[in-house]
Amino acid sequence: MAGQIAGPTAIAFLMLVIWHLSCIFFAIPEAILPTPVKILQTIFKHWELLAIHTWPTTSECLMGFGLAVVVGMGLGILLAFFPMFHNSVYPLVVAFQVVPKVALAPLFIVWFGLGTLSRVLLAFVIAFFPMVVNTYAGILSTDPLMVRMAHAFSANRWTVFCKIEFPNALPYIFSGLKIGITFAVIGIIVAEFVTAQKGLGYLIVFAEGNIDTPLLMAALTVLSIVGVVLYAAVVALEKLIVTWDVGQDLK
Amino acid sequence: MTEANAHVRVENLRKTYQTRKAGIEAIREVQMEVAEGEFISILGPSGCGKSTLLMIVGGLLPLTSGTVAVASDPVSKPRRDTGVVFQAPVLMPWRTILKNVLFPIESLGLREDDYSDRAHELLEMTGLTGFADNVPGELSGGMQQRVAICRALIHNPNLLLMDEPFSALDAMTRDLMNQELLRIWEEYKKTVLFVTHSIREAVFLSDRVFVMSPRPAVISEIVTIDLPRPRELAIEETPEFNEYVAHLRGLIEH
Repeated sequence: MAGQIAGPTAIAFLMLVIWHLSCIFFAIPEAILPTPVKILQTIFKHWELLAIHTWPTTSECLMGFGLAVVVGMGLGILLAFFPMFHNSVYPLVVAFQVVPKVALAPLFIVWFGLGTLSRVLLAFVIAFFPMVVNTYAGILSTDPLMVRMAHAFSANRWTVFCKIEFPNALPYIFSGLKIGITFAVIGIIVAEFVTAQKGLGYLIVFAEGNIDTPLLMAALTVLSIVGVVLYAAVVALEKLIVTWDVGQDLK
Repeated sequence: MTEANAHVRVENLRKTYQTRKAGIEAIREVQMEVAEGEFISILGPSGCGKSTLLMIVGGLLPLTSGTVAVASDPVSKPRRDTGVVFQAPVLMPWRTILKNVLFPIESLGLREDDYSDRAHELLEMTGLTGFADNVPGELSGGMQQRVAICRALIHNPNLLLMDEPFSALDAMTRDLMNQELLRIWEEYKKTVLFVTHSIREAVFLSDRVFVMSPRPAVISEIVTIDLPRPRELAIEETPEFNEYVAHLRGLIEH
């Protein structure tokens, strides 16, 4: 584990050093590219401002993600349970996936206003698709022989779902969760760009308007940290729940 | 044997699989009568429909015509007093060995607490003491199949259906498993229907061997194996054993 972290850390540190020295050596204006040290200083200087905007981004992201998990998994389960429902609904779900969801942001403002609702819904529609597809695929990947085994011991439909199909789908569902959480962050940031009320996305646009690139990059850094922490939380949960050996393709 | 005490009775069984274009006749005509506590092998070439027959007796496949009765009860769905071992162990990788063995207890709606002692006893009997809290991925193929046998026996079924359970194992493990299976059978005296395409395995294990013809299947011969019990592997070196093997081979090849 330590060895796995040491390599990337060393390379990242080296790149930061090159970045810092280049800024000084080539005398790059701060408005174009501030040094890493300057960005760190800005984070400490404006930590209160950053904190104020980090909270709505994080909480709204989690709301949109949570909604996507509940609705996406629910729909995935329904699709797997009812072939008729699948045949009629799944093509529509796929068709909807082709729509670039960020393009819906202005429409959502028209429909739901400039508030939290618009942002949460945008995060939801982006994170929703991987949840549906992975839940569905996970249930369908169940070994038919295992279902037959369960039937041999008089298991009913509900038992087969709870004790066989759902656990079998969990590694797939976690793949969906990992994609979903990163998508949800994208959704919230784009929504904050256009609703321009609060949040790190708003702060980035605000800083850009003031040509305050150090603040922009500070917000970007904090945003990246939020994204990494949320992703790591999903991975930690996966490690806790999916303790068995799953195929290489899912790792 | 009279009809009254037959544990498993199959009459005029016929099974046709319906494909898009035509029906494929898997079983043409099968009659069977199996007494309580008998060890029966169903021997036949691959793809002859012997697994189909077993799955019908287990209530896992519908029959086309005829009757299949267990304990004088026509079989239409899986019975609570039947245990099944498949060709593959089909263990749930997310459950411990103990929880895998206890699965039938959950699916049958019984109280798990009442059966955990029995689960440990079965694991001990199959040489899996100390593996209760391991996961299937940590066990060898032979050990996994032993877990599957424990699972099939956990709810104390009267009838054990085994569908080529050792065919995926190497020859040495297979010999070992056959010995163990006989030991378990001597202990619990369940009725066993054992599907195999290994002649030696069938002779070693069985009271009677039902020989099936290639598809569409009929029972072409019933051979009573009159060898003393309990049997050890050494019996395979005796002339009597090899006579049975030669006789059965002749039946299958003609």
